[in-house]
Amino acid sequence: MNRAQKISLTIVITFSLGLLLGIILIVMRLFDLGVPKIAFLFPVFIAGSGGIVSLIICKKDKGPITFDERDKLIEKNTNLAGFGAVYFYVILMSFLPIGILGEEGSIPVTWCPALLIGAGFCQAFAQSMAILIQYGWRDKDGEE
Amino acid sequence: MAKNEISNQVRRLRFENGEMTQQQLADKAGVTRQTIIAIEASKYAPSLPLAFKIARTFNVPIESVFQFEGQKPASFGPVQ
Repeated sequence: MNRAQKISLTIVITFSLGLLLGIILIVMRLFDLGVPKIAFLFPVFIAGSGGIVSLIICKKDKGPITFDERDKLIEKNTNLAGFGAVYFYVILMSFLPIGILGEEGSIPVTWCPALLIGAGFCQAFAQSMAILIQYGWRDKDGEE
Repeated sequence: MAKNEISNQVRRLRFENGEMTQQQLADKAGVTRQTIIAIEASKYAPSLPLAFKIARTFNVPIESVFQFEGQKPASFGPVQ
């Protein structure tokens, strides 16, 4: 498993954990179980920590050659997947408030930076998934 | 990456060339070992320059290493 795979796997795991926690908190809030707004920072922190921590922990790949033509192709496809995901996210977030709140509805302006952070997470998740799909999820490093 | 229509004899040629390891072949061809693993599993079709490099490493023509859709490998052994 190379460095990109390790980082991607960490991002996918922590992001999924953060998303699950976020959904639990939203459900708890919907049922008026006394969840403070500040608690929503916790899943964001969990989701965001994976990428940062893995960048520090995962060491550089061993060997004289760590990047070749296949890695270049995977990187290109990964960037395309990330761009596509963000594009889809922007479209969804542009129309979703109209669908939920109606044409006369309004949203607080503080949602705008939150949507930007969401776009960042969306891109990181899509790119990580693309890396894992292309390289594979398992460690196939056994020498033959 | 999906399996492609190009098959190869990389694994066989490695063993015929003194049981060369994937790492040794990767170093000689100038790629990572993961790429050699992917090529052997026919999950990745190498570029033409890389295909030539691999063939040159084994001292055989490129047709002996890579075949297109059911084509039989050319009957060239390793050059002594």
